[in-house]
Amino acid sequence: MTNPVETLLVLVLLSVLSALGSSRLPSLIKVLSFQGLVVSIVPLFMGHEMNTGSIIFTLVTFLIRAFAIPLYIYVAIRRVAIRREANPIVGYHASLLLGLVLIVAAIAVSPKFNLPMPQGRPLMLPTAVTLVVAGMFLIMSRRNAIAMVLGYMMMENGIYLVGTGFSLRAQHIVEFGILLDVLAGVMIMAVILQHIKQAFDSLDTARLTTLKE
Amino acid sequence: MQSILLLFIAMLLAPLYAAWILKIKAFFGGKKGPPLLIHYYTLIKLLRKGSVYSTSTTFLFKMGPLVSLTTAAVALMFVPIGGSPSLFSFHGDVIFVLYLLGLGRFFTIAAAMDTASPFEGMGAAREAYFPIICEATLFVMLILFYLLTGELKLSAYFEGLQPLRFWHTAGATLLFVVIALFIVLLTENARVPVDDPATHLELTMIHEVMVLDHSGPDFAMIELGAFFKLFFYSAFIARLIFPFTMGPLAADVALFFAILILIYGIVGVTESIMARYRMDKVPQFVLTSFALAAFATIITLEYIK
Repeated sequence: MTNPVETLLVLVLLSVLSALGSSRLPSLIKVLSFQGLVVSIVPLFMGHEMNTGSIIFTLVTFLIRAFAIPLYIYVAIRRVAIRREANPIVGYHASLLLGLVLIVAAIAVSPKFNLPMPQGRPLMLPTAVTLVVAGMFLIMSRRNAIAMVLGYMMMENGIYLVGTGFSLRAQHIVEFGILLDVLAGVMIMAVILQHIKQAFDSLDTARLTTLKE
Repeated sequence: MQSILLLFIAMLLAPLYAAWILKIKAFFGGKKGPPLLIHYYTLIKLLRKGSVYSTSTTFLFKMGPLVSLTTAAVALMFVPIGGSPSLFSFHGDVIFVLYLLGLGRFFTIAAAMDTASPFEGMGAAREAYFPIICEATLFVMLILFYLLTGELKLSAYFEGLQPLRFWHTAGATLLFVVIALFIVLLTENARVPVDDPATHLELTMIHEVMVLDHSGPDFAMIELGAFFKLFFYSAFIARLIFPFTMGPLAADVALFFAILILIYGIVGVTESIMARYRMDKVPQFVLTSFALAAFATIITLEYIK
């Protein structure tokens, strides 16, 4: 496992574990930023034919994923001064162990998908599957709305990783479109959260069910 | 002969290395610190004293220090120092060594409980709890090493060029094993951030509180056992982070001891720049080591398939 892609993928898997184990929102954001950084430079090492356009796309993706979105969320939580705890429904220890189980399950399941993944990259699909499922788990198991947004980002990272495996020409354009959607989504969410916070003084989603007209 | 000599040197130097940690901590505190030979002075001073035994204690209390010292010393005999053959080695000795250390811990705990002091019971409970997770970590590592070598011998993992072969097959994931092993080292030897060996507040202590009632030669035995144990874990990390061999044995051993200075230095730096974790945070810290080791094993499994 001397090639850079595999090392990067191992780092991504590690970031999933640390995201599931981190209890504070700022540290969770840092982990997600790191994950976005690593995921977005994977295409550069894949050995695809890269022209100027696709390199620029990759770099812009890198900037948005690793810096723009995390920074925006960070500023958002600073501005609304919300509680820094991630408020888990499932505890951190259990989440960490579940992350390990997820990785094992992803490795066991991914050969069954029969996707045309590149040869000699045994970790590519398992990592992507782990990211998607772990992101979903993060959304389900944290009550804090910001942590949910971060889980959504993690899922998006997984989808991007699947896309990286295919060496299609249109891949970058599609990816870029998705990324812009995510960016817009994150911005809208931050604004909405700010309003919720102003109106109800809490971002605990369990309490949002009590909303009335 | 050669392995006996090396073992002797290792046992002789173990207190010196522990003093090196104190030196590093003193440097970070802007102090001069105790002399490097401090632990020898302490050991000699303690050995010349007499022991005081409470009337409520039994033979278990006297056995505790003896067993903990001997188990640590015997465990050290299985360590391939500097990649040279170890003194003892047989099929399955990895499990033997792990439970040997467990035996030592059991008797330390039993001696602590024997004093019927509530503080010591509290320390014993913690001492019994945290190493359970460490044991899980170590066994996951064993699974990994077993998969890579097909052997159940400690010397088969750390002798000669074998660590280098680990790096070739497992690659970057071995780094996680090293970090996990380092966390286990900190936990098993009651160092910061799990436990503070310098504190004198019983409520926050784990290991130190258990040995409060031991005095004189008994306490010297406990201290020496602790130095051996620290050396035991550091030796493996040294072999993993510097897997090369130079050729002549003298050069290998000299380098090995030089790397050990580095590892003890890292322990000292960790102690200087980190605060001790709150008690309920400690299991999470130790569990991280388990997650890392398990992670490395899973990934490596995928590769050697």
